[in-house]
Amino acid sequence: VSDRSKSGQRFDELRGEQVVYAIHRQERTFLPSREHCPLDPTRPGGPQTEIPFPSFEIAVFDNRFPAFETPLGAAEVVVYTDQHDGSFGTLAPERAEALMWVWRHRYMELGAREDIDYVMIFENRGVEVGVTLHHPHGQIYGYPFLPPVPALQLAADERLGGCAPCLLMGGELKDGRRLLHENDAVVAYIPYAARWAYEAHVTLREHRPSLLDCEPEELRLLSSALQAVVRGYDALFERPFPYVMVVHQAPTAAGAGAGGPGAGAGSPGAGARGAERRGAGGHLHVEFYPPLRTAEKLKYLAGSEQGAGTFISDTLPEESAAALREAIARAA
Amino acid sequence: MAREPAAPPPSDRPEQGARPGADERAEPAERYGPVALARHVKDDGRALLLFTRAEREPT
Repeated sequence: VSDRSKSGQRFDELRGEQVVYAIHRQERTFLPSREHCPLDPTRPGGPQTEIPFPSFEIAVFDNRFPAFETPLGAAEVVVYTDQHDGSFGTLAPERAEALMWVWRHRYMELGAREDIDYVMIFENRGVEVGVTLHHPHGQIYGYPFLPPVPALQLAADERLGGCAPCLLMGGELKDGRRLLHENDAVVAYIPYAARWAYEAHVTLREHRPSLLDCEPEELRLLSSALQAVVRGYDALFERPFPYVMVVHQAPTAAGAGAGGPGAGAGSPGAGARGAERRGAGGHLHVEFYPPLRTAEKLKYLAGSEQGAGTFISDTLPEESAAALREAIARAA
Repeated sequence: MAREPAAPPPSDRPEQGARPGADERAEPAERYGPVALARHVKDDGRALLLFTRAEREPT
């Protein structure tokens, strides 16, 4: 890490994983006043922001303080709206649906790059998970390597002898006690072995390795289910509910998939192309990791979680699911 | 890399509101499914993409 303005990686031999040093991020904008939000549009007479237009719908730009950047990855910011207040859950349904296409576009373009092995779309919501800007937005990291969590999920496919999300979703549908929300394309549930009290997985019913393999109607129903879960979160304790939301998809590294990230980009026939790519590993699903275990108490990663890698949970997934299911219904 | 056919922008609202000098390197809008995107380059060289929901089919 010789150039302090650039990120660098070191490999932790003891844990067998990469650590990224992005020391320039120490200087990034931290909880600015509402008048100085860099994600607002640039209004006449107002301060210059990241988006030099007086209005916009959805904006994507290179992160000013990137953890990854060309030629070793990418870091982008996705601004959901030019309205400073609100959240993913309060977006109009049409805007949330459009966001799915923006995600898909960025997965396609970033995943086609030789230097990017894994595209991760995510949102941090709430100061409890380290948010530094309140304006509704998410981020995209293009990793120049396959990170440990998606690698573990691919290993689960091998261990279970098939697509793990497909098999696990089937088990949840059969059991039923942890289901949160369903529509024709998507199932939301708290997993059997959830680590967080209100962890939720939102999974495509059909085997879709990535957003590129989805039919347009599936994208619409995915956005609808995601909004239902987030609105339920806010209704659960009648407060803005912090979470980390992560879109899990197939790796994009050369050799990771038969078709590559551009293979299923069209709308008609995307499902057929997706079928050809089975075996590539990965099944599109969105995971939420909310740190709240009660309305006021946070789950901290302490001794067992950090030292042993074993989560100790204070709640049972079935009981959490019953409460969250009721909140989702109430917020609908 | 596969890409759906480009199409005229369904809306030119962002371009109408551009600050002087901020949009000199903007490229024509592209169509991607139900959204259109316009590519810009910020003053410091970073990419900026503006997506709008395209209500009209390209002609």
